[in-house]
Amino acid sequence: MRTRAIRRGGLAAAALALLLTGCTGDPKPREEDLSPTPKDGVLRILAGSELQDMAPVLEEARKATGVTVQFAWTGSLDGADTVSSGRADGKYDAVWFPSEHYLRLDDAAKSELVSQTPVMVSPVAVGVRSGMLSELGWGDGSQVTWGMLGDAAAAGKLTYGMADPSRSNSGFSALVAVASAFSGASAALTDADVAKATPSLQRFFTGQKLTSGSSGWLAQAYQQAYRTGAGNRVDALVNYESVLLSLNRTLPAADRLTVIRPVDGVVSADYPLSLLASAGQPARDSFQRLTKYLLRTDVQQRISEQTLRRPVTAEVAPAAGLPTDRRRELPFPGSRAVADGLLASYQNELRRPSRTVYVLDTSGSMEGSRLDALKRAMARLAGADDTRAVRRFRDREEVTLIPFASEVKAERVHQVPASAPEGELSAVQADVQGLTASGGTALYSTLEEAFRVVARQQAAAGDDRFTSIVLMTDGESNQGASEADFRSFYGQLPAGGRTVPVFPILFGEAAKGQLQGIADLTGGKLFDGTGQAAGSLDGVFEEIRGYQ
Amino acid sequence: MRRAGGVLAALLLLAGVAFAILHGQTGTERTVTVRGLIGSEKLDFFNDPAVVDELKARGFKVAMETTGSWSMAGSSLDGYGFAFPSSLPPAEEIRRQRQISTEPVRPFYSPLVVVAHAPVADVLLKNGLATKGSSGVWTFRMGDYLAAVQAGRTWQQLQDTAGHADLSGALYIRTTDPATSSSGALHLAAVAYLANGGTVVSDDASLAKVTPLVQKLTQMQGDQKTSSDGPFKDFLSGIGDPLVLVYESQVAALVAQGRSTGDLVVLYPDTTVSSDHTAIGLTPDGDRLAGLLRDDEKLRALEARYGFRPQADPGAFTGALAGRQSPAVFAPDLSAAGIRQAPVPAFGMLSKLIDAAKGR
Repeated sequence: MRTRAIRRGGLAAAALALLLTGCTGDPKPREEDLSPTPKDGVLRILAGSELQDMAPVLEEARKATGVTVQFAWTGSLDGADTVSSGRADGKYDAVWFPSEHYLRLDDAAKSELVSQTPVMVSPVAVGVRSGMLSELGWGDGSQVTWGMLGDAAAAGKLTYGMADPSRSNSGFSALVAVASAFSGASAALTDADVAKATPSLQRFFTGQKLTSGSSGWLAQAYQQAYRTGAGNRVDALVNYESVLLSLNRTLPAADRLTVIRPVDGVVSADYPLSLLASAGQPARDSFQRLTKYLLRTDVQQRISEQTLRRPVTAEVAPAAGLPTDRRRELPFPGSRAVADGLLASYQNELRRPSRTVYVLDTSGSMEGSRLDALKRAMARLAGADDTRAVRRFRDREEVTLIPFASEVKAERVHQVPASAPEGELSAVQADVQGLTASGGTALYSTLEEAFRVVARQQAAAGDDRFTSIVLMTDGESNQGASEADFRSFYGQLPAGGRTVPVFPILFGEAAKGQLQGIADLTGGKLFDGTGQAAGSLDGVFEEIRGYQ
Repeated sequence: MRRAGGVLAALLLLAGVAFAILHGQTGTERTVTVRGLIGSEKLDFFNDPAVVDELKARGFKVAMETTGSWSMAGSSLDGYGFAFPSSLPPAEEIRRQRQISTEPVRPFYSPLVVVAHAPVADVLLKNGLATKGSSGVWTFRMGDYLAAVQAGRTWQQLQDTAGHADLSGALYIRTTDPATSSSGALHLAAVAYLANGGTVVSDDASLAKVTPLVQKLTQMQGDQKTSSDGPFKDFLSGIGDPLVLVYESQVAALVAQGRSTGDLVVLYPDTTVSSDHTAIGLTPDGDRLAGLLRDDEKLRALEARYGFRPQADPGAFTGALAGRQSPAVFAPDLSAAGIRQAPVPAFGMLSKLIDAAKGR
């Protein structure tokens, strides 16, 4: 009955493992363990996946207070949408995200919440490989500014990973911080500030070599890249101070990160636990018991020691290793228009453009509803309806469609222009709607071809883009190259080719083992599109946008 | 025999009831349950076992539900015995809407104060934005502060801010969202009073006069939190802005309960507004309960333990803090410390002021 994460024993180790599996960003919350109706002594919380490391504390809370927490996980910004649309009412009793900055900009969402109670604090910081500090001339890192980070990135001396700001609170917080710092804004950001900071922001983002839909996956990808060589090795990670320090606990000395809180200011997460106004009295009682427990002195101490976040009570000192010198807290934009405008700028102007290859299975088994689902999911990416730049193909993006069955059927390349993208997006739509299903499944041969296409495009353009391959299939590979053939092909790729992650999508009767193997080999991530609900493939295609 | 026994039992029962009434005691059948809609800042007080016991001894059990004080006037109050917002304007609005003629009861109040870490308070002192009295009570100079805001002053332009990484950017006091929270709204009332030359804003002409300043103060903060607990917790955790507006009671409660407030300094704005926690009886039982909260000596001592200043018992507040060692120094008597109270506009005008501040 209770949630798996909370009830299981031996949780301390499991918590970090969960943190590192990083599974946020699902447009639909995952809620398999959720009670469908309110229950005495149960608090159903829609939460950011960053909170998974609270499992041991919440297990102790259950023993002390009798309140069992059931979680449904989602990304911070998607969660804000769930609350503002009223879809959280009756289904959840409370929400718990790293921050409610974005949520509060929406009056409808704001009025859904009461008793917002900050529980702990962690600033968004930059973890730089410790060995690099002296060559960058940064001493112990305590005096580094966002400007110095930007200069190092522009000079090609510093690469980093940062989560997608349209989805992840850590990415959005970093974007606000860096835009504030570069614009010299003395107060909350305005559109004019963002415009002024654009050139410096573009320079800063030339160093971003890794993006993801969640802050947890970023930490995992960093670790994997240095341990197994799969994917992109970066010099630094933009993430919560707590995630960076927790990651250090699991890394060999050579890979550890020095946590830099830039001296010109940070944006912090304060993890408010908030009651939904729609919650009934039993849930309100549970909420009060739980928040009271979490704010107890001894519990605040334990939270800080276990999660490396900072306490919110003055009598508890932050855990060892958390510096106590203060930073300016940079103000968050006060309007949805400025916030969404900043996100749109990031996606369409500021970040490095993307090169995105879609390898799409159009074998005979896709005929009918499966092909329709694929067309609908792709059509959403080429559509105009996209308030905070969360899914549509971005300005400056190069999109290649490779439909295949027994062999590659076509290679369609689309360059989305830097402005007025509508015409090219319509051309993508036309290609997608023209797909037809027939033939077998030459999965590995087609994937090899996709890598060759990427290499040709890179050579021809001589540019520097976020490059990735999406592989959607509904069956096992039954023609062409074998898995072993592909591994040997991959092993012979030049180093540049091996930094291109593949994001396989499980659909229909696809072979999970094959697809997981491809994700692991290339530093990608497997996504599951087999959900029964209509539109589950839409959600997966949208979620992957955070990694492109 | 049986009948006589029955009569005897009845007499004994009556005697017991009479005893209970005379001694203010209660059997369970004498306890009335009153439903109250209260501002969330008073939840801990009403949950305190000592408060529950004292109310029970007086024949009450309180069933609470909490909401933001500011939104209380818009809530349905059907089925409640009393409403207890944290300030007068929503209380007046509730009385107007429900045509309640009995006087509202104001059991306790708490002034709005500015909190800063000790090194920041010293910077304010050196720059003439704050003064420190001989008794150790700090005063924040609102006129000079508002002039600095109007001039677009930044922390870097002040003296002696070198070496303070947290002191950069525009000078302002962090507040809650005035549209959802009374502390943010009451602070705007104080600012508007000063900006209007020491006169309460009461018409559209004076509203227009103060709009640029209240709008600037609001918009420069960007996103604002919805209730006063958030900014205070951020402050205690070491993040957040250098100057934060809170209720004195939030700080005093910690000190009175022997908890640490770190190096927090309480700065009393020389012109401020108090939150008048105002209880409105909606039923006869609710009326009696409101009176009890004002008049009961034990309850007043408990109110002071939660940092509030009982209206009818000025000594209770200092009594609760006596003997507590803390860097936070409280003014025993606000007017003696030279702290003036700005009058608050009527609910309708205050709503207009808030809309103006938010640029709506």
